[in-house]
Amino acid sequence: MKKNKTSIGTKLTFIILIIFSILCIYPIIWLLLNSFKDNSEIFTNPWGLPKVISFVNYERAIVVGNVGINFLNSVFITVVSVFVAVLLSCMASYGIVRMKWRMSRLLYFLFLIGMSIPSYSAIVPLFNMFNKMGIINKYPAIIIPHIAFALPISIFILSGFFSSILKEMEEAAIIDGCSIIGVFFRIIIPISISSIVTVTVINFINIWNDLLFPQIFLSDINMMPLPVGLTAFSDLYSTDYSGMIAAVIFTIIPTIVAYIFLHNKIMDGMTAGAVKG
Amino acid sequence: MNKVLGNKKYIAIFVLPAFVFYLIFVLFPIGYNVYLSFFRTNLMGNSAFIGITNYINLYNDQFFVMAFKNNIFLMIGSLLAHLPLALFFANALFQKIKGSKFFQYVFFLPTVICGVAVGMMFNFVYNSEFGIVNKILDIINLGNLKMAWLNDEKTVMYALIFVIMWRFVGYHMVIQLAAMKSIPESLYESASLEGATNWQQFRGITFPLIRHILKIDAILIITGSIKYYDLVAVMTKGGPNHASEVMSTYMFYQGFRTMKFGYASAIGIILLVLCLLVIWGVNYFAKTEDYEY
Repeated sequence: MKKNKTSIGTKLTFIILIIFSILCIYPIIWLLLNSFKDNSEIFTNPWGLPKVISFVNYERAIVVGNVGINFLNSVFITVVSVFVAVLLSCMASYGIVRMKWRMSRLLYFLFLIGMSIPSYSAIVPLFNMFNKMGIINKYPAIIIPHIAFALPISIFILSGFFSSILKEMEEAAIIDGCSIIGVFFRIIIPISISSIVTVTVINFINIWNDLLFPQIFLSDINMMPLPVGLTAFSDLYSTDYSGMIAAVIFTIIPTIVAYIFLHNKIMDGMTAGAVKG
Repeated sequence: MNKVLGNKKYIAIFVLPAFVFYLIFVLFPIGYNVYLSFFRTNLMGNSAFIGITNYINLYNDQFFVMAFKNNIFLMIGSLLAHLPLALFFANALFQKIKGSKFFQYVFFLPTVICGVAVGMMFNFVYNSEFGIVNKILDIINLGNLKMAWLNDEKTVMYALIFVIMWRFVGYHMVIQLAAMKSIPESLYESASLEGATNWQQFRGITFPLIRHILKIDAILIITGSIKYYDLVAVMTKGGPNHASEVMSTYMFYQGFRTMKFGYASAIGIILLVLCLLVIWGVNYFAKTEDYEY
């Protein structure tokens, strides 16, 4: 009797889980299917498979809708920001965790505070500073804040990992006459690759998806990354649904691909602030 | 060894680049923002010190008050949507139900998708002509409930809450699941030997031992709901008639559309203070003991 009861509960739970998974995946599949239909077919046949697979929507999104340029901008901005942010965070984390100096705890604490600072309380001053520096609407105006706001979480994750590395290897290398910079690049970086990948991929996702910074610090549509490009597209061609859907697919494909290959690292990294706090 | 690792020159090489960057582009702007919030300024040379007038004006600004109330609504809605539902899912997956890895990956997927893309996707879902929601209502013979969900002042906030839920339930589930997995197996083994039911195990072991994570999670949910921006900006732009305005969209509008930068700075400071208050408040009112196991 009792056994039967629990299995009914389990079955019910299982059904709820299935329903919610469909809820999670279906909108994406719906978008993908509709990205191959033309504007009239979306209205007449919103549910079914497309009659023909055609890539005209993608072509139109890239050529007319500027999405191709937005994509390249996104790649450039994200790659530069992530690379610099991860390099600076690795160096700072090593300096904080491994080197011997008095203020290291204080500095670590200062970086941690950054995890709870909303970027809204810095954007007006940053806008003013960049304006005076003459870099508004230039790439540095968007790359700099991306790097600065990526530092806290990156340093948090990397410091946690660096402090778990055994000291013996560094000691041996230093006794053998290796410089501290040599130790860092030849020992610490290679054995920390897994954490570095985690930090890289979560920064990639955050920066790739960001709307606020480019909206504020860039004004030229030809320099905009994808999220702003998408909003511009929907403002300009508000009835070209199929083109818009193709543009959305363009935006989400890179993060979904990264997620398929690195889901464990992404989940660990994105929840690290809560779980390890 | 200590001599090498205590070398001031190398410490500077390693730590200073990141710190200087952080100091100039994160910490300094916060202080500068407090300063700007006491001015009426368009940042183009036209500025005047007006004390706390910006804050007083915000208090009397009906649209800001509306935005603030909407943030509170989103906060309560996200807490209700995320904590119990995520906890239910996390506990279900924790029981090693069939396919639990698969469910975990699928539920987390919306978290990594660009908010703008999610917003546009749900613009289609809610579309009054070909959107999924209205089609489903047609199919189940409730066609008279069909409406333009995002263009109606009465439904727009509920429509937004649903999207936020869709996007972040998996995120909070993974956080809670990670906490559950850190509980030692032996506790459950001895509990089942004593004949404790699943529900008793959840109440007696799982829930008390993940309370500290639930507290952190509540902080994340609340501060997150104060900062919602991209979904609202894309789906409604704060409309119709400011009905879905939130503080972040209103700040963007006041600062970068009408050039009232002092006013926008004041909103930025309010956002910051609210976030810090939440962190302090939740920690203060939901004191949890640390368990050793």
